[in-house]
Amino acid sequence: MTNAITINNLTYGYPDQDPLFHDFDLEVQEGQWLSIVGHNGSGKSTLAKLILGLLEANSGTISIFGQQLTIETLAEARAQVGMVFQNPDNQFVGATVADDVAFGLENRQVPSEEMPKMIEAVLQQVGMADFADREPHTLSGGQKQRVALASVLALKPKVIILDEATAMLDPAGKSAVLQTLKDLKNQYQDQLTLIVITHDMAEAALADRVVVINDGQLAFDQRPQDLFVQGQALKELGLDQPFESQLSQALPKAPNQYLTKQELAAWLSTLKD
Amino acid sequence: MNNLVIGQFIPGKAWLYRVDPRTKILVTVVYVFLLIFANTWPAYALATLFLALTLVLTGQSLELYWRGIKPVMWLIIFTVCLQLFFTGGTPVLFHWQFLKITLPGLINALYVVLRFVLIVLMSTALTLTTPPTAIASAIESLLKPLKAIKVPVAELALMLSIALRFVPLLMLETDKVMKAQKSRGMSLSTGSLIKRSKAVLPLLIPLFIGALQRALDLANAMEVRGFESADNRTRYRVLSFSKQDLVAALGTGLFVLLFIGLLWIN
Ligand SMILES: Nc1ncnc2c1ncn2[C@@H]1O[C@H](COP(=O)(O)OP(=O)(O)OP(=O)(O)O)[C@@H](O)[C@H]1O
Ligand SMILES: [Mg+2]
Repeated sequence: MTNAITINNLTYGYPDQDPLFHDFDLEVQEGQWLSIVGHNGSGKSTLAKLILGLLEANSGTISIFGQQLTIETLAEARAQVGMVFQNPDNQFVGATVADDVAFGLENRQVPSEEMPKMIEAVLQQVGMADFADREPHTLSGGQKQRVALASVLALKPKVIILDEATAMLDPAGKSAVLQTLKDLKNQYQDQLTLIVITHDMAEAALADRVVVINDGQLAFDQRPQDLFVQGQALKELGLDQPFESQLSQALPKAPNQYLTKQELAAWLSTLKD
Repeated sequence: MNNLVIGQFIPGKAWLYRVDPRTKILVTVVYVFLLIFANTWPAYALATLFLALTLVLTGQSLELYWRGIKPVMWLIIFTVCLQLFFTGGTPVLFHWQFLKITLPGLINALYVVLRFVLIVLMSTALTLTTPPTAIASAIESLLKPLKAIKVPVAELALMLSIALRFVPLLMLETDKVMKAQKSRGMSLSTGSLIKRSKAVLPLLIPLFIGALQRALDLANAMEVRGFESADNRTRYRVLSFSKQDLVAALGTGLFVLLFIGLLWIN
């Protein structure tokens, strides 16, 4: 399988600061759902900005589908990678939902008469079709983030990076966004690579693979179910286990492996005999 | 702040909503310009008639316009007093101490009030029936000729539409910061003037820093979605003239002719 993103020997530090990343390597396969976790300030957002060329690496290489990221290939790379940011308000460019989705299409110089159909289609995908004419300040945070996702989808990216896109949302908004992600992944399968940066372990558990960033290195690189059983090690990295793992570890008889909420409930219900 | 009618857009389906924003802006500009020259009662009557027709075509209630005028009431009363008491001439209608009201003063005051009200209501009719985005694209379209002398029209229009988009957000944020500072004991309504002005500073700084952070985030979000320059873009909202615009243009043309005629006779 091809790599969607390949990072080799990356070194980066903000000016006048100690380097955040030093000889950092990461490969993300096409079609993978990857979660990136790490404590505050570990450099997750910085990594996302480096991949999108919003920041320039001090040394090392970043390749998108085999094409090395340089000034010349920047536009091409951005055509393949979309990003949803944390703050719902600060990425809403248009005055209405439809205008916001249109913004990226306008930049791509899509002919005006083709836009309404495309906008309608992506709003449908994220369940916001009835809100096309609404202004951003009349929407909830979760709705705004789904619009942000639609704006990215309209540009038909192969990779979508979400940087704590659900961090500012209430539980209902969060689960609506996550459900939308699951639906998209189901629809596009291997055509869509998802990179989800998050502090929420339940969100991280949706991925095929979780990496933990610590001190500019990959501290862990595992399937979520293998990661979450390592309670103590996670705590040392400033991370929490998902609630299900905490619960099953508190129960002495529980099997020593990661159980989803449903699996745990099923196991608990076998106990009464 | 939300009950301010002037400058607000209220969605609707009346006739004026279907007129191209460029037409509406041009008509408003022409109307305001002509009013400057109005100096007879017939001229004001004609202008009022034109306004009344426009207001009817917005399909909004008169009560709404009354709410639009109310906040500027004091400004109107103040200008009326100035005109009333400080215009000289004869005959004198009323005299008490240094205050005196003359007939020219009275007429002038009424003219000023009328002019003011007409202009405010006409602009309200424009913004009430035209979404801010449409106003921004209309301005861009109208200013297009200035591109020839290297005015960055597309950039300006984009700036305007983004600024308009952030107005409600900044208002909400001001409210939030104000409440946060109030809960820490700040008061904007008591104390000496100096003390009150000082209290504004802790309000402005968080707002300013917040706006700066927003601007940086927004720049990233725009860049990631392929924004390179305001010029090489297509447009989602395409303006196009239709039958309504022809009708509006003819109606306004008739008004302009009659109005100039009235001024001429005088
Ligand atoms: N624009 C900037 N200029 C200078 N330093 C920065 C800048 N942005 C981030 N940093 C610093 O770089 C480090 C990593 O920041 P980054 O935002 O990448 O962390 P993060 O893992 O995304 O954290 P969080 O979980 O809080 O979002 C932090 O110590 C931060 O203070
Ligand atoms: Mg971050």
